[in-house]
Amino acid sequence: MSFNHIVMQNILRDKWTYISYFLSSVFSILVFYLFTITAFHPLMAEIDTESTLGIAMLLASFVVYIFSFVFIAYSLYSFLKKKTKSIGVFIITGASMKQVRQMIFRENMFVGLVAIVTSIIIGLVIAPIFLMIAKQVFQADDFQMYVPIIPTVMTIILFAGLFFVTSLFMTRFINKEAAIQLLKSEATPEKSLTSMPIRTTVFTLIALGLASMIKINEAFVDSLGMLYYVVLFLAILIAIYLLIKQAFVIWIRVAEKSDWYKKQTNMLFVANIKAKAQSYTHIVYLLTILLLAVFLATSVLYSSLHGVKEQTEAAYPYGYQYTSLEANSDEQRQEHLSFIEDTFQEEGVDYDRFDFTVKVDEDKRIGFVALSAFNELPFHDEQTLAADEFYAVAGSDGVEPSADAFDEGLSLVGSSDRNLLVTGFLNAYYVVPDDVFAQIEGADYDITAYEFADWTEQQAVIETIDEEVGYDLDKYLASSKVSLYEAETFVKRVMFFIGFMLSLIFLSAAMSIIYFYLQTTFASEKEKFMSVRKIGLSTKEIRTIVTKELALLIFVPFVQSFVMLFIILLSIRNLISTAFMQMTLIGVCIFFVLFLISFFLTRHRYVNMLIKE
Amino acid sequence: MSEKILVVDHLQKEYIGKVTHRALNGIDFELNKNEFVAVMGPSGSGKTTFLNCISTIDQPTDGQVAINGKNPFEMNDEELAQFRRTELGFVFQDFNLVHTLTVKENILLPLTLESVASDEMDERLEKVVTFLGIESLLDKRTFEISGGQKQRVAIARAVIHEPKLLLADEPTGNLDSKSVNDVMDLFASIHDTFESSILMVTHDAYVASFAERVIFIRDGMLYNDIYRGESKKQFYQEIMDTLTFLGGGMNEL
Repeated sequence: MSFNHIVMQNILRDKWTYISYFLSSVFSILVFYLFTITAFHPLMAEIDTESTLGIAMLLASFVVYIFSFVFIAYSLYSFLKKKTKSIGVFIITGASMKQVRQMIFRENMFVGLVAIVTSIIIGLVIAPIFLMIAKQVFQADDFQMYVPIIPTVMTIILFAGLFFVTSLFMTRFINKEAAIQLLKSEATPEKSLTSMPIRTTVFTLIALGLASMIKINEAFVDSLGMLYYVVLFLAILIAIYLLIKQAFVIWIRVAEKSDWYKKQTNMLFVANIKAKAQSYTHIVYLLTILLLAVFLATSVLYSSLHGVKEQTEAAYPYGYQYTSLEANSDEQRQEHLSFIEDTFQEEGVDYDRFDFTVKVDEDKRIGFVALSAFNELPFHDEQTLAADEFYAVAGSDGVEPSADAFDEGLSLVGSSDRNLLVTGFLNAYYVVPDDVFAQIEGADYDITAYEFADWTEQQAVIETIDEEVGYDLDKYLASSKVSLYEAETFVKRVMFFIGFMLSLIFLSAAMSIIYFYLQTTFASEKEKFMSVRKIGLSTKEIRTIVTKELALLIFVPFVQSFVMLFIILLSIRNLISTAFMQMTLIGVCIFFVLFLISFFLTRHRYVNMLIKE
Repeated sequence: MSEKILVVDHLQKEYIGKVTHRALNGIDFELNKNEFVAVMGPSGSGKTTFLNCISTIDQPTDGQVAINGKNPFEMNDEELAQFRRTELGFVFQDFNLVHTLTVKENILLPLTLESVASDEMDERLEKVVTFLGIESLLDKRTFEISGGQKQRVAIARAVIHEPKLLLADEPTGNLDSKSVNDVMDLFASIHDTFESSILMVTHDAYVASFAERVIFIRDGMLYNDIYRGESKKQFYQEIMDTLTFLGGGMNEL
């Protein structure tokens, strides 16, 4: 019998311990592999000329990689804890620490390498399907399977390296003394939770304080830049951990003092939680964070996909906007406009045409519009102005126009934060009475805007126009909400696609953690329930206790991350679409149903296994 | 004077905590080559701590331990491991078998760690397995066999490398009375056949009566030792008398 034989048997005969970790690892590597296959696709350069897509895919791969690193390190640490006693047996039988480390290292490397090979094989099999989905998402004409040499080599090297480093690093955590001590007694009670009210309060205040800086002191946030967000992120992570821990301590204390405690199975339930409070804290914490990541990835990205139409309309008001600058000749302009209108007619698009002139002060980046022309325009309320009054209209969407730049001696009667032209084109527009307008000096920009129904469907028409007309920065400009919409939906769809894959990884990690916990504690739980059954606990009562424990493990993190999700979404509601609440609720409901189903399935199986003789 | 396999000199062990507890209070003890000694004493007397300090599971606070002339606490990790797998054998109350390995693999573990040649492994396995009568168990997993069988396997693992010193902590503590007899007969014949010295902690006077000498520990001190004469029955009675005198031992029987 060789040393490697022991290594192999330790894994193969303990496969149920490794299975969830193995599957989650395979899944992460697989997603990484598929992302890189997409990113390195030979047609990628054509689909995505600005290469933002490729960068996004690589960035997502990077997130997967970092996450895998944390997940694998955590899993290996859990394995090590579970194996502590058998490590003790090896040591006392005469294994040196070097041999023990080597054994653990080889075990981890073996699992890791099998996971890599499995992922590559599965990856190669499903890559064509994945690329077909990607083709739909990217709306590419052609996205065939190819021989992905670079992605394969990259995946193998990066993950082999990751497994190598984590395995090597984790063997440093083998506690020789603890392992030997375990030989003396079977029972290894967890350390009970210590109440840390001061530390918890301090970290919570730090986290809240830092978070509120976003609203209170923007200069402070800007001065720290990226560092601020990293520190905020860490502070929040620590604060959440301490809060969960403190909540457990308080809950146990209150529960033990209440009358409820002495009724039926409650004492047994609370005692169970108390005995394993440390593990519970860790699991509830990890699941809360993972679920929050899942919720955020899906809801923010999906709701951003949802609001694209409104955002596009807000940024680019018109279906097609032709801006003729002073250097543009009249013939050229007429030629363009008749081409545009001919194209619309050919394609059967009913359009409304709006013509108006904006007198632009190019230094101040402001424009003047005649009242009569303004009142013809859609999207704006009709105004009536006295001879000495003016009305201000926004240059950028949602930004109140400033009247400071206006020095014609008129008084402001009102303003609108709805942008008149393409967002950010000028700082502000001032609507003035027609005779004042005639007096104003400035560069004449002749605007011709077209509006038509079902504009999101008119990509082909706008493409035809863009190909013929294009733009010339010195003479004339052209912009269309249709093309913007197409570009935006493309980006958002890719983001959603990536976010969805990421959230699947997080979800699989969460499942894996619960599975691993139930699996490793099963033997001692069974023994415990067997012995209390002897003193008269019914199957029904065991079911009650298990139901409460599982519910605690599964739904407490769910509710916590749900609450945090809404706090986050409410605080960034200005940044994302208003439709997010509804979309998020639907998303969370779907997850809730999934969790409910898996809760009942897990409970059913777990209870049956517990009470089986 | 016969050769000493184990010399314990003024062994002390303190557990430092909120209340410092002195588990061993200066024990002097010698174990001769090929001697079989049982350690007895009331609960909390320090008998298991005594064994753990010799077996390097616990670190003594003061005093010297020399096994075959060597102090295991002065060795580095590599030397200690080598020492354990060549000169020491352990038998625990709860067997401590590795659940991922079969019976055969568990028994071969010390030889594997020492990288013994395959032929020699088979040879030694054959010898120890025949001796213990566990040929039929070899391919079974540890959870497929009974407590008595597990302890036989643990003993096989402890003696396959023919250690100079076999240490046993309540080896019969988890066994039924039939298995107790079997296992103790084995200890006796190991003692005869392999010429190993055996130091065994037990609270069971019957089990102790298999030994040649019984030492009694009380409050962390060596209290008394008695030698076996011609009759095992007589020896058992003497052990019982001493325990009664010590107090606390009786109610554990």
